[in-house]
Amino acid sequence: MDDLPVMQFQDVVKVYPLPAGDVTALDGVSFRVGRGEFISVMGPSGSGKSTLLNLMGCLDTPTSGDIYISGIRVGDMPDTELTSLRRDRIGFIFQYFNLFPLLNIIENVTFPMMLKTGKGVDPERGKEVLRAVQLDDKLFTHTPTELSGGQQQRVAVARALINNPDILLCDEPTGNLDSKTGAGIMDLMTELNRKGTTIIMVTHDPHLAEYSRRTIRIVDGRIVG
Amino acid sequence: MIFWEIAKRNIRIHLLRSSLAMLGIVIGVVAISTMGILGNSMVLSVSDSLRTVGDSVIVTPHAGGNARGFGGGGSTSLTISEQDFQQIKRVSAPNVAIPVLQTSDRMKLGVGKDDIVTILYGMNPDDVPDMLKLQEGDYSRGNSGCLVGATFAKDNNVKVGSRISIGTDGDKGTLRVTGIIEERGMAFDVSTDSAVVTTKDWFDTTYNRDDYDKVVVKVKDLNQIASVKTAIEKQMNRRDTTVDVMDTRKTMETIFQAFGQITTFVSAIGGISMIVAGVSILNIMMMSVTERIKEIGIMRSIGAQRREVMSMFLYEAAILGVAGSIIGGLLSFLGGYAISSLMLQTTKYLFVPSTMIHIVYGMAFGIFVCLICGIYPAWRAANLNPIEALRHE
Repeated sequence: MDDLPVMQFQDVVKVYPLPAGDVTALDGVSFRVGRGEFISVMGPSGSGKSTLLNLMGCLDTPTSGDIYISGIRVGDMPDTELTSLRRDRIGFIFQYFNLFPLLNIIENVTFPMMLKTGKGVDPERGKEVLRAVQLDDKLFTHTPTELSGGQQQRVAVARALINNPDILLCDEPTGNLDSKTGAGIMDLMTELNRKGTTIIMVTHDPHLAEYSRRTIRIVDGRIVG
Repeated sequence: MIFWEIAKRNIRIHLLRSSLAMLGIVIGVVAISTMGILGNSMVLSVSDSLRTVGDSVIVTPHAGGNARGFGGGGSTSLTISEQDFQQIKRVSAPNVAIPVLQTSDRMKLGVGKDDIVTILYGMNPDDVPDMLKLQEGDYSRGNSGCLVGATFAKDNNVKVGSRISIGTDGDKGTLRVTGIIEERGMAFDVSTDSAVVTTKDWFDTTYNRDDYDKVVVKVKDLNQIASVKTAIEKQMNRRDTTVDVMDTRKTMETIFQAFGQITTFVSAIGGISMIVAGVSILNIMMMSVTERIKEIGIMRSIGAQRREVMSMFLYEAAILGVAGSIIGGLLSFLGGYAISSLMLQTTKYLFVPSTMIHIVYGMAFGIFVCLICGIYPAWRAANLNPIEALRHE
């Protein structure tokens, strides 16, 4: 089982049909991500980076080719199964943190777990993960708007980790932070990866890519190295 | 569940607009419920005053028929002969058939007072207790006694023991009041409230009568009313139509039906206000969805199912509907209480299931309208494309 890639793309093509003509965003992309890897995906805007991110995050399905998440073929899954896959196997970290303003920090963190179990979750479980991302205990019952950007992103990382996902998928995780705070988040990522978490990070920042151990470069919908 | 919690909090942070939308539901519920309460209370109130006569079949001579099928002689007035009465009595048995005589005459209520004209009924003393209840005094047994209606007694200051001289200058004799009849309201059989009731013998002798003006059949089992009516009609109108038979229950049913239609119509007008309220619910729900597109996108991307997103918005609509309906229900009760005590001078028609059910109807309709109006926005939210929703600013 251990040599099974957590993510595998096989000749993936994504075409957006538009009235002015079809747009091929991804054109035969293939790669595999092994367990415990830390990969950055780089490319200029318009290169197909966002499309790749959506496919990796199971928010979309390919026009042709195959995507496997821990051996499960995503293919033309119905929405319900695709949603369950996102919930159970993928942890999302966004550029704009994207916490829920109506929920406090612990509720934000345990939200995906409540989705998974369909019932209330012991707040202790949330606290545990929040401590792992080095967030101060005093902040646990605050609302997201009362936290700094760096603190919010730590909460977002905790939320992404709560269901023990196969992959942590980050979209410009420091893009909305100053360089010092951003470095703190990247240190946290490195630490998580060292403990075994598989991380795929989409970025256009070469400095950020230095934290990863492998870089996939994408230009015009193709992997160039 | 977390979506219930989110729905609650979202209403709380938008308290003003949620309250305004809820107010619409409150008004809708109050409009429907109070109209229903009022309508039903009025039906009950009217039926109460008509109930005493709701068990009768009334037989009157047929106007325009060729008088006297058999017996009776050459009378030209419309009456029911003794033989006809006996036939009615026979087919109506075991129910009691009560013959009634009726005329109007002058009378004087004491020396120096002006003559008044009023209705006189003649009835067998044995029959009277079956039909009339007294509020004071006793039923008169002798021919010199009479009963008077409650309104008559009040208007003319007549008491038990008072004497009434009948006819011009009392030429038909003087009667002593032995009892005062309880108020009966509008009645189909005999309207005694402003009348004097004498014995049949006195009436026969005084007005030289040997026939009757109407026959009232008191039916014990209300379900038999229709069959008694049919039996009389069959017997009496075999060859010619000699009598008209009225079934008071049927008449009352017609009246109640009309009342019911008015109540329904007025409630329907109340229903329009509920639909207006529903539109405002739809409006704020759409607003709520539009404002939270990004949030919906995040939820969907981290694994919330469509139905879960949908449930969150339906909860919101349900909270508005249930809260608005409960407040509306309480206000309807208070409003119904106020209207009942002001308009009907009594609240006894409020605390009965058939009235109270209108509050339940109003509340149920309020919740129903909210849910219906919440479905489309919730469906919209659930079916947003997560990628586009996530990109929404």
